[in-house]
Amino acid sequence: MTRQISHLDLLESESIHIFREAAAQFRKPVLLYSIGKDSTVLLHLARKAFWPGKLPFPVLHVNTTWKFKEMIAFRDHWVKEFDLDLIEMTNHDAIAKGVNPYDYAPSIYTDIMKTVPLKAGLDQYGFDGAFGGARRDEEASRAKERVFSFRAEGHRWDPRRQRPEMWRLLNGRLGAGETARIFPLSNWTERDIWLYILREQLDVVPLYMAKERPTIERNGQILMYDDNRLPLKPGETPVMRSVRFRTLGCWPLTAGVESTATTLEEVVAETLGARTSERSGRLIDHDQVGAMEKKKQEGYF
Amino acid sequence: MTAHSALNDANVTPLVQPVAHTSAAAAPELSGMLRVLTCGSVDDGKSTLIGRLLWDATDLYDDQRATLERGRRVDGGNPDFSLLMDGLVAEREQGITIDIAWRYFDTATRRLVVIDSPGHEQYTRNMASGASHADVAIMLIDARHGIKTQTRRHAAILDLVGLKRVVLAVNKMDLVDWSESRFRQIEQDFRTLMWRFGFREAVAIPVAAVSGDNVAVKSKNMPWYTGPSLLEHFEEIPSRGTEPTGAFRMPVQTVLRDTRADFRGLAGTISSGTVRVGDTVLDPVSRRTAKVQRIATMDRDYQEAIQGQAVAIQLDIDLDVSRGSVLAAPEAAPVVARTLEARFVWLSETPFDKRGSYLVRTATDLVPVTNIDIKSLLDLESLAVHPATSCKVNDIAIANVALGRATAIDRFAEAQETGSFMLVDAISGATIAGGTVTTASPDIQQQDNVFLLTRDMLTRGLCSDVPNTPEGEAEYRRRSNEVALLLRSAGVAVEVESLPDYVI
Repeated sequence: MTRQISHLDLLESESIHIFREAAAQFRKPVLLYSIGKDSTVLLHLARKAFWPGKLPFPVLHVNTTWKFKEMIAFRDHWVKEFDLDLIEMTNHDAIAKGVNPYDYAPSIYTDIMKTVPLKAGLDQYGFDGAFGGARRDEEASRAKERVFSFRAEGHRWDPRRQRPEMWRLLNGRLGAGETARIFPLSNWTERDIWLYILREQLDVVPLYMAKERPTIERNGQILMYDDNRLPLKPGETPVMRSVRFRTLGCWPLTAGVESTATTLEEVVAETLGARTSERSGRLIDHDQVGAMEKKKQEGYF
Repeated sequence: MTAHSALNDANVTPLVQPVAHTSAAAAPELSGMLRVLTCGSVDDGKSTLIGRLLWDATDLYDDQRATLERGRRVDGGNPDFSLLMDGLVAEREQGITIDIAWRYFDTATRRLVVIDSPGHEQYTRNMASGASHADVAIMLIDARHGIKTQTRRHAAILDLVGLKRVVLAVNKMDLVDWSESRFRQIEQDFRTLMWRFGFREAVAIPVAAVSGDNVAVKSKNMPWYTGPSLLEHFEEIPSRGTEPTGAFRMPVQTVLRDTRADFRGLAGTISSGTVRVGDTVLDPVSRRTAKVQRIATMDRDYQEAIQGQAVAIQLDIDLDVSRGSVLAAPEAAPVVARTLEARFVWLSETPFDKRGSYLVRTATDLVPVTNIDIKSLLDLESLAVHPATSCKVNDIAIANVALGRATAIDRFAEAQETGSFMLVDAISGATIAGGTVTTASPDIQQQDNVFLLTRDMLTRGLCSDVPNTPEGEAEYRRRSNEVALLLRSAGVAVEVESLPDYVI
């Protein structure tokens, strides 16, 4: 008997399988929730994996305080709707010391505002496994990532010490001091994420849809001027442009694209026709050669 | 216009018009997926072949194309296609591929997943793990050198992990003047080699990766070749997940409950065959059967579910099964095994230790090992089997594995997912070896001075606080595993008393 199963069905089943394996094998897992489209899919799959039960783990959001306002509103809405147990981590010390996304190099800012509070959150609550929405198609060093990715003490990632994975078997037994990152979306592509959001009719942060927004142009990229904390350079004046975002992060570090796609269907159509890979809109990855690999070794997701 | 029109060098313009995803309607879900493993040594031009395939036939992004352009070699016209496949900084510096990398691309009809594995001898383990995820393998050789020892080695690894389809890509045909006789000779050597293995399909295709001949389109330089190009061949292989094979199996991952709706679902992914509402299924360990009442998911209920689907199955009576059980078709049940004869690839840098503490991780069970007897090693050069008592990294060993308690397991040849396992180091947690079951036996291996850890002993002391529920059973199992491992690391051969018919 031969029958046709769509590639999205195959990916969905695989992700559900990974969620169930990890929840059974790790003592205290947590889901890293970053509010973006990948997190939306991740959360949806987690709900499917444990339906009709409640999620058997909390969700953790690292808030740099520089996230778009609409992201936080979206997060709070769904946390309530899905009855999620939300943990928010913020590096308040660094904020008090004046660390911000415009005076500091993106790699330093990311380390202080994202990696440090992430590690602190994992340590503080004693989480031994953390689900993340990373995909192998995002970037060269992620193409080699495992589904269960192990971190030595201090959350360091050593590409040479990763465990081989074979067949559908997943080994989550931890050695002393080890923790794991779990990537249920490993085999999804950006295209799959959008097609799935469309198929499942998932709500995403409205920032993914084009709208007239206050923007400035800096270094050839369009940034949204979400509030007046970002000092303007001489000659820069916020102007209204119809823009949308392909990825969401801290607004001074996330470039938008000019677009008129205002519905999910139009966005998906535009995205699938786009000829630039999504991370080209993320300023932190272009900072240095092998940027992502370095960040990962230091404990970035 | 498509983006690559900016490239005016005729040699590097994609030979096949890539899929243009211009609207959601024109970009429906793909009708399937194929995972392709590439293996071959660095010099055979493997990364170039795959880079070329991506370049010619798929939806590469502009910035990826630009990266290739930047990497254009000083000596010639072609971009460095290998840059697409090589990832980590360390590897770029060394110029070799040391780990498996996953790449995704879409042809007009399906998702192709390329799993790139290193060809170096010391990375046999990476190739084995890569191959275990694949539906088809490309073995790449240089037309000037023909079949080498390494090709044999690769075929043996592919066969071991259960791959059924292989393609021999005879590369660099341009360097042998597109010679048909050279190709036919290699093809003949390949056929002879393949007879030794259990492949369902093995074909040879003459290619030139750099110029794209027979990669995505037929070569004009080799009119004598009438077979498919590499891409055409891939398009004809049945997609992953479309052919449910074998008897029904579903390893239970967890139990899902909804107390309001009186729902108790055994959650798992169907690892082989098909299951329908009303079917009788068996829990092999307790030898009890029940009927499938509901096949449930968050979206909807199914009347039928097949291999690869993640579902929750509700039975008409409560079998008290929990994680580690395998629901199975009663007429073709797995063995409730205490001893396995297995072949495994040793993945760890640490060699086999007769007194080491090992665990066997099956689809969803984790079982302590009481004893491993290495019997022989497979010599990948000669494909002969030599007696041995130990093994080390990259070895393929044949061994008897005695389990501390019974678990449901299949012969790998009959059911891959429930017939494979990982050997895990109980202390470090590391994955030590990947194994396939050749024989599973309910008999307990005869050993002298075996200490029997009885249920009575455990429930009176260490497990006195464990409740009489499926979750409690899982915790009981965890604790007894750990005790068995501790005793074993102290040199005491130990067995955990199995449950009489699994009645709690």
